[in-house]
Amino acid sequence: MASTNSSESSVRIFFSTNDPTLPLPAECSQINVPSDIGRYGLSRILNSSPMLNTTSPVPLDFLINGDFLRGSLSEYLSANGLSPETTVEVVYVRALVPPKFDKSF
Amino acid sequence: TTHLDPTPSEKAIHFGEALQQWAQFQSKTHALSLNLTSQLRLILTPSQATKLSGAFRTGKRLNIKRIIPYIASSYKRDKIWMRRAVPTKRCYQVLLAVDDSESMMGSTGSGAASGVKQTGENRGDMDPTGPASMALESLVMVSRSLAMLEVGKVGVLGFGKETFVAHGLEDPPFTSPEAGAKALQKFSFKQSGTEVQNLLRRTIDIFSEARNLNAGGGAGQEDLWQLAIVLSDGLASTGQFEGIRRLLREAGERKVMVVFVVLDAKAKAPSGAGVGAGGANASTSILHLKQARMEKTADGRMEVKVEKYLDGFPFQYYLIIREMEELPNALAGLLRQWFGEVSG
Ligand SMILES: [Mg+2]
Repeated sequence: MASTNSSESSVRIFFSTNDPTLPLPAECSQINVPSDIGRYGLSRILNSSPMLNTTSPVPLDFLINGDFLRGSLSEYLSANGLSPETTVEVVYVRALVPPKFDKSF
Repeated sequence: TTHLDPTPSEKAIHFGEALQQWAQFQSKTHALSLNLTSQLRLILTPSQATKLSGAFRTGKRLNIKRIIPYIASSYKRDKIWMRRAVPTKRCYQVLLAVDDSESMMGSTGSGAASGVKQTGENRGDMDPTGPASMALESLVMVSRSLAMLEVGKVGVLGFGKETFVAHGLEDPPFTSPEAGAKALQKFSFKQSGTEVQNLLRRTIDIFSEARNLNAGGGAGQEDLWQLAIVLSDGLASTGQFEGIRRLLREAGERKVMVVFVVLDAKAKAPSGAGVGAGGANASTSILHLKQARMEKTADGRMEVKVEKYLDGFPFQYYLIIREMEELPNALAGLLRQWFGEVSG
C-alpha cells in the first residue's frame, strides 16, 4: 500500500500517557509521522532521540479514542472518516504482552 | 444550522453573515491596518528625493567629471549638466492566499466516542483565537491597508486540496465591505488537504498572465512588482517541500515574491486523556512541532529520524505570528528586508 502521493503521506499526532515512568518532554508531544506506520513504527519513533529518554527501548502500545491501534494510522483515519488534516491524539502505554507480528511497520 | 457544501469556492456562509463578519474584523483590526498602511507607504512607494544624475545640455548642477572633456572637445561635448531623475511609478499586484484547509479549524480526531467527524461545525462557531479566524482577520487587515495605499491591484486566493480565486485582481477593490464580504463567503476551512504546490503553481500562472495584460495595456512604463502573501497554519506534508522549493525558484526567476505568514495561534489544547506527557502544558506551537521520517541506512535497515518540522520549511521569507498585534511590524520588516536585498 505504498502511497505515490507524497503530499498525503503524513499525519500530525499528539502523544500523551498516563504512565508517570514514561514522561515525554512537553515540546516533543506534537509530531508529524508517516501515515502508513502503525504500532511498531510509533514505538520506534517514541524510543528514538529526542523523544523518551529511556536507557533501553520500551515496547509500546497505542490507544486512539480508547481503542488499541492495530493497523496503520491511515487505515484508522479512513475507517473513521477523518482527513489527513486531523490531529490524532494518541495515548501510549507499555505493551503488556510481546506484540504479535503485524504487517504495518 | 445551514447545510454547508465542502466544495471549494461555493458560498460557505450567507452574504449578510459575511458582511457582518467583515465589519467586525474591520473594526477589530482598524488600528493595526492604519499602522501597517503608514509603514508600507514608506516601503512600497519609492523615495521622491532621488539623486541628481545623468548628462544633459541643460540641468540643475554641473557634472564636474564632464568639464575637462567639454573643454578638450572645443566645447562640442556639451552635455555637462545633471538633472533630478523622476522615479518611475511603481505599481503592485498583490495576491493574498488564505489556507482553507481543515487543519485551520484545529480539528482533532479523538474525543467523539463514536468516531464521527467533529469538524462539521459551522464556520460561525469558529474558535476566535484559532488559525482560521486569525487568517480571515489578517486578510481583512492587510487588504484594507493595501486599498488605503492605492498602490495597485489586490486579489485573494483560497487553497487546500484545491486552489480557488476568491477575489480576482481585476475585481472591484476592497474599499467597499461588499467586495470583502463576497471574498469571505468563499472560505469554509473544510478542505481535506493542504497542497501548497498547487497554490504556488496557480499563483505563478496568475501573475504571469497579469504581467502580460499589464504590458499589453499600454502601461508598460510602469515598474510592476508582484507579491504573494500566504496566510496559513504552516502545516503541510514534508513530501511537498522539494517541489515547493522548485516552484519558489521559478517564482523568483519571474520576479514574484512569496511571503509565508505562519499563524501560530494558540490552538485548543487537546483534551488529552494523559497526564504525564502532553496534556495541559504541552505545546501546540509550530515551533515545537517535530517531524519523524524513516531513513534507509547503508546496510539496508530502516532508521527513525526525528527533527524539528521548521528546520526543513522551504520558504525563505516567512514569519511566525502568535498575536494579530505582531503582524504589521513583522510584515513591514520582512518587506523592508526584501526590498533592501533586491535593490542591492
Ligand atoms: Mg492544513
